[in-house]
Amino acid sequence: MAKTETLSPIPVIRSWLPPLNGGTALMAGLIGIMGFFVLYPLVLILINSFNTATIAEPPVYGLKAWRDAFSEYGIWRSLWNSVKIGIVLQVIALPLGIFVSWLLARTNILFANVFEFGFWISFFLPSLATTFGWMLMLDPSTGLINAWLRQIPFLSGLNFDVYSFAGIIWVHLVSTGVSTKVMLMTPAFRRMDASMEEASRMSGASAFTTMWRITVPAMTPVIVVVFLLSIIRIFSSFEIELLLGVPWSFYVYSTKIVDLARQEPPLVNQAAALGSIILVFLAAFIPIQRKLITRRQFTTVTGQFKPKIIDLGAWRYPATAFVALVIFVLDVVPLLSVLGGSFMTRFGFFNLPKTWTLEYWKMALSDPRILQGLHNTLIVAVSAGLVGAVLFSLIGYVLVRTKLPGRAALDSICWLPSAIPGVLSGLGLLWMFLGTPFFRPFYGTLVLLMIAQMLGGITLSTQILKANFVQLGKELEESSRMSGAGFWRTYLRIVFPLMAQTMVMVGVIKFMFAAQHNSAIILLATSETRTLSLLALDQVAAGYREVASITIIMVTLLTLGLAIVARSFGLKVGIRAE
Amino acid sequence: MSFLRIQNLYKTFDRVVAVNHINLEVAESEFFTLLGSSGCGKTTTLRMVGGLEKPDGGEIHLGDRCLVSENRRLFIKPEKRDMGMVFQSYALWPHMTVFENVVYPLKLRGIRGHEAEKKVAEILGLVGLAGLEERPAPALSGGQQQRVALARALVFSPRVLLLDEPLSNLDAQLREEMRRELKGLQQRLGITVLFVTHDQIEALSLSDRIAIMKLGQLEQVGGPEDVYYHPATPFVRDFLGKTFLLPGKILGIADQQVKVAIQQFDASPLSIQRTNLSASGNGLTGVGQSVMVAIRPEQVELWAKAPEGKPNMVPANLQSVQFLGDRYEYTVALGSETRVLVSPASRYLKAGEKIYLELKSEGITLWPREG
Repeated sequence: MAKTETLSPIPVIRSWLPPLNGGTALMAGLIGIMGFFVLYPLVLILINSFNTATIAEPPVYGLKAWRDAFSEYGIWRSLWNSVKIGIVLQVIALPLGIFVSWLLARTNILFANVFEFGFWISFFLPSLATTFGWMLMLDPSTGLINAWLRQIPFLSGLNFDVYSFAGIIWVHLVSTGVSTKVMLMTPAFRRMDASMEEASRMSGASAFTTMWRITVPAMTPVIVVVFLLSIIRIFSSFEIELLLGVPWSFYVYSTKIVDLARQEPPLVNQAAALGSIILVFLAAFIPIQRKLITRRQFTTVTGQFKPKIIDLGAWRYPATAFVALVIFVLDVVPLLSVLGGSFMTRFGFFNLPKTWTLEYWKMALSDPRILQGLHNTLIVAVSAGLVGAVLFSLIGYVLVRTKLPGRAALDSICWLPSAIPGVLSGLGLLWMFLGTPFFRPFYGTLVLLMIAQMLGGITLSTQILKANFVQLGKELEESSRMSGAGFWRTYLRIVFPLMAQTMVMVGVIKFMFAAQHNSAIILLATSETRTLSLLALDQVAAGYREVASITIIMVTLLTLGLAIVARSFGLKVGIRAE
Repeated sequence: MSFLRIQNLYKTFDRVVAVNHINLEVAESEFFTLLGSSGCGKTTTLRMVGGLEKPDGGEIHLGDRCLVSENRRLFIKPEKRDMGMVFQSYALWPHMTVFENVVYPLKLRGIRGHEAEKKVAEILGLVGLAGLEERPAPALSGGQQQRVALARALVFSPRVLLLDEPLSNLDAQLREEMRRELKGLQQRLGITVLFVTHDQIEALSLSDRIAIMKLGQLEQVGGPEDVYYHPATPFVRDFLGKTFLLPGKILGIADQQVKVAIQQFDASPLSIQRTNLSASGNGLTGVGQSVMVAIRPEQVELWAKAPEGKPNMVPANLQSVQFLGDRYEYTVALGSETRVLVSPASRYLKAGEKIYLELKSEGITLWPREG
């Protein structure tokens, strides 16, 4: 007898909510943490631009801050100044960067590897050091170069002033304006298939026609990416304008925000209104930038031939001398002048009875403020490096290796900080800590600075880690899962050890970032929690140049010094164009 | 009358000799191939002809024009040599369309506007790409990219076409198709071609003459049949195809024939025509010498029973048979060694039986052997 059974269909529960399990909880946790620290401060800025009461007082909503902010000429002026600096800088730096990258990667210029290392040094040299070094050279009354010029018969009328628009552009160029582009573009230029250039030569084009018509246009995608990365940082630049612009009341976006927030009484709401404008601009710009950067238009990379070096002929030696001069201006001048500033009785005065002295070093090394600053810097930078490496590797792993819902959102949150000016996230965090009763006790402690510096460089860190996870064979993890290890055990026992080198690299990058950048923490630090680089800014502003040199040397040792040590241990600390 | 002349050409890379004093003459409208395994110096030679490498010694002449001479310190830049070149990676410029890629050499020669368009259309039609002018170069398939590269190299009617392994990035079927088209195109245009490849089938099928290179030197230069059937050196013999080798000893030399005893197993002596020794006969001294008998596998016929009146039969044991569709593959035991032979599917032999191998006497060559 046939047994009849009716199979009732299993009810399908459709829900927009993903099933609740460990993975979803992890994802929710990551999005929650990142969203809270990245997005919430920005939301606070937007909200409080419509608030007329100061921080930590009951809000009174109104449009007064916007009205005040934009009836003031200075605020428009500061926005325009940022744009103006950005445009002039890129117009000079981009062609120069392309030209130098081409020379280093595609021609038979001498010492190409040494020069590339020189640009690498310049990239890691804190902009504080470059700026201060060139201040010592180009100060209109005491600058060394100006002093020399006065002794030269026909050039005595020539006097450079670093405290000027041209001075700001110059220091931007020698700080990271050129070196970032060379660092990003040289590897891409080097990997270009040489036969594309050879095909052009065989078609009848000369070496230079080939450069203009083939090499540079074929590199357009890389050049566009580098250009966009620079453009989006226009409103982020801070230290150079603070040191060279504020003394003659020249404000840009970021220094204006700091100025407003630090006035007595503080005009934080106006600062928030100014901040909001850029948030709107970025909200439109970031998706475009991200789309262009992640899309690969065409690959020009082949592994068939060692790139053939273009023979510059008679131009080989002038080209070598040119790049050597650039390196001299980028690395040697600022380093020597900062060193000189700390060991000379008076900087630039070589004919004093006692030219050299250790007096300032003795003073500095017993100065409690410097020791306090070193202490603060180490705590902030080490914690940023440690937490950054661990947290961001987990994020990178989740983004690359899991299929958890919400990855796109998490990825977007990690892209955001690359575009948010540090001053703005600092302002938002300030609001968050002072305006939220739970966080208020943390104000005035190093915790604020740690959080602010951890957020910086998220984009770079997660991109590096993601790229490495993609390269890591998936089978290694799958075999661990098949052997019976769960997600966390696999992560800790297999992924973590295999990724250790990359994580150390990310940690080092975050450490360096935290040790030298001021914009995110300048509004959060008190005189007790000042880091070395903040202290240096105060010392320069107060005119203590010799002591400032020493503080800056310490910051340089903590950043560039660490980068050189890391590099010598085989860590490729640098950015790749992909 | 030679058109392209290479004299005493020499090139080193970091003290490693890449091209070692080679001499070559290529006639006008000839399809000339440099054949060899990777690192033999064939590509370096081609690139020196194109001007992409500077020789360390020697001269290259095209017609009555000297392109490079180390002694006279003369070096014509690649853009002044009037040669077209197709690269292994095709090297299409990714930022340009098909039209822009192909018109580039014309623009550099001052040919613009309607005349340039006409020439581009003509050459694209010739390589079978008419109508694809506005496509971006990276949006094409491998075979199409190859045709664009060819069109770009031919559009300005260069005096010589240089081809650097142009077929090696294509899949097998497309490669065969392009091979036939390339030959047809060359014959129609009558252009002089210098072709570099490591594939002996390409070299044999396309070339008027082939130069086989090894370690920077020329092993042999000749027509395809010539080098295939009458290889001058063991390297050429083994590089150009499979060889069936048997150790032997010279028994006697007559006017027309050489008698060779096959060693190690029971076979009646082989007789080999003396005319076949001319290419390989160097180093053969006389009676009693140890030799290798070499023959291309396709010139070995398999028999179930020894037929009457046919010379050069070698008995063997058939170990296994594999059916490959259009042919059979036989594993044959000769004494203690095994060899693989193929024969058309029309004849079937059974595994485990004794068979006879007929070595066609016109295909046998003799080589001196150590010991």
